[in-house]
Amino acid sequence: MNNKYKVLVVEDEVNIMNLISALLETNGYKVITAKTCASAKPLYASYMPDLIILDLGLPDDDGMNLLRDIRQTSATPIIILSARSNEKDKVDALDAGANDYVTKPFGSAELLARVRSVLRNNRHSSQEGRLPGGRFVLNDLLIDYDARRVFIKDNEVKLTQTEYNIVTLLSEYSGKMLTYAAIIKEIWGTSDDGSIKKLQVNMANIRKKLGAKPGENNYIINELGVGYRMND
Amino acid sequence: MKRRLNITKNILIPTLILCVAFFLCLMLENLFDQRNSISIVFIFAVFIISLVTDGYLCGIIAALVSTVAINYAFTFPYFSLNFTIPQNLLSALIMLIIAIMTGTLTTKIKQQEIIKAESEKERMRANLLRAVSHDLRTPLTTIYGSSSALIDNLDSFSREQQLKMLNGIKEDSDWLIGMVENLLSITRIDSGQVQLIKTPTVLEELIDSVILKFKKRYPTYRVDINIPDDVIIIPMDAILIQQVLINIMENAVHHADGMTHIELEVKSSDKQATFEVRDDGCGIEQNKLSDIFRGINLSVNRSSDTKQRNAGIGLSVCSTIIKAHGGEIYAKNAENGGAIFGFILNTEE
Repeated sequence: MNNKYKVLVVEDEVNIMNLISALLETNGYKVITAKTCASAKPLYASYMPDLIILDLGLPDDDGMNLLRDIRQTSATPIIILSARSNEKDKVDALDAGANDYVTKPFGSAELLARVRSVLRNNRHSSQEGRLPGGRFVLNDLLIDYDARRVFIKDNEVKLTQTEYNIVTLLSEYSGKMLTYAAIIKEIWGTSDDGSIKKLQVNMANIRKKLGAKPGENNYIINELGVGYRMND
Repeated sequence: MKRRLNITKNILIPTLILCVAFFLCLMLENLFDQRNSISIVFIFAVFIISLVTDGYLCGIIAALVSTVAINYAFTFPYFSLNFTIPQNLLSALIMLIIAIMTGTLTTKIKQQEIIKAESEKERMRANLLRAVSHDLRTPLTTIYGSSSALIDNLDSFSREQQLKMLNGIKEDSDWLIGMVENLLSITRIDSGQVQLIKTPTVLEELIDSVILKFKKRYPTYRVDINIPDDVIIIPMDAILIQQVLINIMENAVHHADGMTHIELEVKSSDKQATFEVRDDGCGIEQNKLSDIFRGINLSVNRSSDTKQRNAGIGLSVCSTIIKAHGGEIYAKNAENGGAIFGFILNTEE
């Protein structure tokens, strides 16, 4: 009973709250609910949930502020749930530390998949750090971090230095949407006008080398105007 | 930036034009001893100024300046102002009236053009709104009716019936989601007022995203993709162009009877990229072809059965989006049957 994941859901719409609660409870999560930012803060402090699902349009304050507040002290995974579907809103939330962004309306399967993915990846990174050694396996893709080599179905994929760095970065955060800015900062350190284009061209080469075709993208998902995510 | 542009446009250019007119007249006078055409040169200058500047004010000021300039430099006594001679006064007055009228007329023409463009936009919006609100009722009826029936008499329906009704709710919600996406696209264009924000977009990523979205909703249809191998980057509002492609493909699903698969092809040259979506369905009726992007072939003479509603709205949104991009959209029938929808985008900023 006690080893259930605790999920704090911050959402002011009663119907959506009921839906999410029912969905999570029937899938074995313990749900704590809050309708405002103000009531969410003490609940967060006393329960220390494993995951927060946060609506942005709350009656007392913008959910973005709560997100920033929490990120100042903790890395508790946060999934943003919002009706704002602009790329800029997504990028802002992800850059402020959100782990994922689900736009309303969402399907039950989609939400559950994101919840599972965020919880799984958080466990990974907190226990194993940034995977100094070891391997990453995803379907036919295998990354050998020690040897700095990438394979698909046992055939080695020849990547350039930069391409390898991008692929491993995405794999370390697999399941998390990384914004263009976040990737550029990790890979090149600094950014200028040509950075995004440089990243896009590198990504195009990576896709080609991994044998991805439009619509059957097995490993790396791209979200237009936002960033990339290693599938999981 | 914009402000600086306005200053150039409304102050510097008129001043320049007046100076040119002034020196032209000096030349005419000195070289050819020509005085008759001096007023005409100035009226012409005022005319041009009214044409290029905003509002009446610049035209009127230019007219006043011209009158003073003529009186000062080109009428007796030369190089002094004298409005007391009745002849001068009269010609100055006539000159002023002509100049002001020219200014007002050109400004009016400009305003009328703006009004015309506005009313065209308004008409399209009204069409869209009418079609939308009409079409919203059907899915809402299903959703409201089915859910309330299920709440009231859950146990009296068989499990099969319950599932059927729930599926109806889901399908019609899906449809509503599509409609809302389209409406959001329109507001995305309108809210900006200024030009669209175009960002360099990798063609392959766009197509990838479109196909994933399409497959999620219509997993049974085959889509053949034919795009160039090179990395092609096109400036666009990617979310809107994605919407265009999805609308066109969805249109094929709903209206191309007998369709088995869709072909999506993109060709790119130095300056343009041409997107084409071909289906192998029944094609487009000839009489609908000309109006197909105007969003008026919906709800007229049509019962709103599931297959036919949504007609037009999606396509008129496509046309709005492509026009906002400064592109071109077209629809035609393929020679070997089926319909072709295509659009052209500039690949340069």
